[in-house]
Amino acid sequence: MSATSHPQNRALRWSTLATALLLAGCASVSPDGLRGDVQAALQGRTAGADGALLPSPDPAAQQAADAAINGWLAQPLTEEAAVRTALLRNPGLQARLARLGVQDAERVQALTLPNPVLALGRLTNPHEREIERSIGFGLIELVTLPWRSRWQGSLREQDTLAAAADAARLANDARRAWLRAVAAQELLTTQERMHEAAEVGAELARRMARVGHWSRLQQAREQAVLADARTRLAQARLAAANAREALALTLGLWGAGAEAIVLPGRLADLPAAPVPAEGLEQRALRERLDVRAARLGLDRVADQQGFARVGPLFGEIGIGYQRNTTTGRTGAAAGHAEVQRGWALELPLPLWDAGGASGARASALVRENAALLQQTALQARAEVRMRWRGYRTAWELAQAQEQQVVPLRRLIRDETLLRYNGMLASVWELLAEARQSTQAVAEAIEARRDFWLAETDLQFALAVGSPGSAATVAAAPSTASPSSSSSAATAGAGH
Amino acid sequence: MQRRHFFSGAATAVAALSTASVGRAALAGLPEAAAPAGTATQVPPAPPTGRPFHPVVTLNGWSLPWRMNGGVKEFHLVAEPVVREFAPGFSVNLWGYNGQSPGPTIEVVEGDRVRIFVTNRLPEHTSVHWHGQRLPNGMDGVSGLTQPAIPAGKTFVYEFTARRPGTFMYHPHADEMVQMAMGLMGLWITHPRLDARGRHPQIATADRDIAFLLGAFAVEPGSRTPRVNEMTDFNIWSWNSRVFPGIDPLVARRGDRVRLRIGNLTMTNHPIHVHGHEFEVTGTDGGTVPPSARWPEVTTDIAVGQMRQIEFIADEPGDWAVHCHKSHHTMGAMGHDVPTMIGVDHRGLVGRIQKIVPDYMAMGERGMADMGAMEMPLPENTHPMMSGTGPFGPLEMGGMFSVLKVREGLARGDWRDPGAYAHPPGTVAREWQGPAEGLPPAAAPESTAPPATPAAPARATVRKPHGAHH
Repeated sequence: MSATSHPQNRALRWSTLATALLLAGCASVSPDGLRGDVQAALQGRTAGADGALLPSPDPAAQQAADAAINGWLAQPLTEEAAVRTALLRNPGLQARLARLGVQDAERVQALTLPNPVLALGRLTNPHEREIERSIGFGLIELVTLPWRSRWQGSLREQDTLAAAADAARLANDARRAWLRAVAAQELLTTQERMHEAAEVGAELARRMARVGHWSRLQQAREQAVLADARTRLAQARLAAANAREALALTLGLWGAGAEAIVLPGRLADLPAAPVPAEGLEQRALRERLDVRAARLGLDRVADQQGFARVGPLFGEIGIGYQRNTTTGRTGAAAGHAEVQRGWALELPLPLWDAGGASGARASALVRENAALLQQTALQARAEVRMRWRGYRTAWELAQAQEQQVVPLRRLIRDETLLRYNGMLASVWELLAEARQSTQAVAEAIEARRDFWLAETDLQFALAVGSPGSAATVAAAPSTASPSSSSSAATAGAGH
Repeated sequence: MQRRHFFSGAATAVAALSTASVGRAALAGLPEAAAPAGTATQVPPAPPTGRPFHPVVTLNGWSLPWRMNGGVKEFHLVAEPVVREFAPGFSVNLWGYNGQSPGPTIEVVEGDRVRIFVTNRLPEHTSVHWHGQRLPNGMDGVSGLTQPAIPAGKTFVYEFTARRPGTFMYHPHADEMVQMAMGLMGLWITHPRLDARGRHPQIATADRDIAFLLGAFAVEPGSRTPRVNEMTDFNIWSWNSRVFPGIDPLVARRGDRVRLRIGNLTMTNHPIHVHGHEFEVTGTDGGTVPPSARWPEVTTDIAVGQMRQIEFIADEPGDWAVHCHKSHHTMGAMGHDVPTMIGVDHRGLVGRIQKIVPDYMAMGERGMADMGAMEMPLPENTHPMMSGTGPFGPLEMGGMFSVLKVREGLARGDWRDPGAYAHPPGTVAREWQGPAEGLPPAAAPESTAPPATPAAPARATVRKPHGAHH
């Protein structure tokens, strides 16, 4: 970096500066706060609501979303509409996406070149006055800009994946809340039916006792049945109301919007056959966001490791241009000014730190990230196997309940009716069997709900991350701006 | 009905049954194991061989043919699983003899030498006890005590002389409780030796000699096999394993001497009641009752393990009920735990129950007679508690019930159902059409009892179901 005014050198100098400026210009804040990237990463991960949109700060898009939600609420709310509404309306997701914008801006801030330093000095002695003017900047910032910008892109991608995983988790939660709310409402109707049967039995028992056919004991037994049915009915009412409330909360609806929710009468039928386990683990390794994020982290620290060998050596290289003016104050030299011009280079001597610690740190970071990737992959595979087992068993249980238990209970009820017809059984036995058969229906509803919940979690485990754990994809650590003074800008990931 | 003819030596193949097969060689020398045709009463012809007698008519049953072998009457009983139709639409898996429960009636004459081959086609061993007979101790049929039991698949032979005339039974005395609960039993009639004029000093000649065994079974509604371990809560009360309206009528020409021979192999007593006539008990399984010891009755109680022989002159034309006087015994399957619903107001509840059970109908609010009138669907193979229809409507009966049909001028051997009785004008109870003032006062005793809770006003309780099954 000589300061000759050789034309070739001059050209080199300008091109270097231009490149630096260009690179600095590249690191601009994403205009949509990375929403487009999140949307892309969300593809196929919105709990079955394909192409569900994220909220937009754009007023026109907001109006379109409002209209769409009003349309969905005007009819019985489908599972898909619930997921779409949640993605558009849930304030937690909006906060999360805003946070992503904040992270992006912070990263861009970190990439921006530090401003040059202007140093002015005025020194006097009895003979002369010296004015020193120097402008200097950290050369390392400029030289490492391409690397750092590449790493920052990787960090940005990691953050985007984390936000997409949170959006996918919300979609999953919305689907689960919808399943629970619909099932709870279905279960309430079965409890109402059982309560009705108990009420009729108790009323008839009261009339039996009134005309002297029954003792207080016999009547009390039927009253106890009714009391029990009342308790269950109250619990079912509470469960249905709370499941509905939880759904509205997940969807981000309140007031009139929440009131407007009309739930469909029943959950979807079971599929004819459960999906086989073949190929699911490979799919999870291909698609899961947490695996992708772990791979990104490893790639980045591996890339940084190369830099780490030289970073500490040149971590504090500074370059500056100096122009010093010396003005005589006395004697013949009075008023005579002498100007010095030149480049100054600050270079640390690697006497104490020849980069050894830094290199060790970097290679440990690589090992750490490789192990983390392996752990994430193993976890993904095990989770898919466990979730598939749960899904498969839930299907078998729900299928058995629907195909065997409920028909059996109905047969028992119908046979009891035949016995009642023949005066071989009493109306109370008939009502008790009717309650039992409704109970079997209630258990079938629960089994069907549990199947769909298991199916939802399986899909999540295949494409997103761990169902049921709070943070699916660890966001990249927010990177402080690499200081121009201390250790090199080897801001590693994953600590 | 056709009397089976069979000839010695030509043993026709018998229908092999599932359990233990009996080798053809073992059967080659035996009399044919005859089998009945259907469940109708089969009137036997006069005896083709041996001493003459007046055969009995086994209600909904038949008499076992025999062959004479050197002056010995040889019979062949085969104990085997059977399916018995108790009434149309109601059949039960039983154990019987020669294809039927009860087994065929064995008819011999006082002094006959009798040889009975018993082939066991049951899954377990058995024996035959000749209830009430005088015989050598080793022929008494008590397994373990007087003989080894007859193993499955084996044929045993019993031989004795029928020493006294009367009405008897035969039944197992090996695993007796189970085998009787499954219907293994039969009648045995030893006819008196008649003098040259065809008479007997103490035993009258009956024009209509009818025999049946009382049976009780516990058949869960909707099932086909008795619960053999039941001791008290029976629901099927049968005569010769038939229940009303599956029991044939007792047909008599006006003026006929009718003899009923009834044996009780149930777990409880049965007071058998005949309408329209008085009768005398002329004999038991213990023998003939001397005429001086008889007294008139319209009901006689037949205790467990007893037989009663009653006689009367059927001189009142009409359709007269004959039945066990325990009213539960004239019912089909019923629920003994079903509570009384009489007078229980169902208003406002029927529709609610039908919402839960669409085909529900309110029953019993006025009594149980609805049951006789309504033909509600029942569990399969279940005999209704009340059934049967006569010229004036539902009889509301089942179980141990039949009708003695006395008519003018029937032919001697004519056992066909003569149909409903044509009542002379003015001899049937009818609704009073005159003014109420014409009635005598319906006095009531002075009472200090508080008035009972007024029951709900009588209303129609039968509501037809609407709404489909689902």
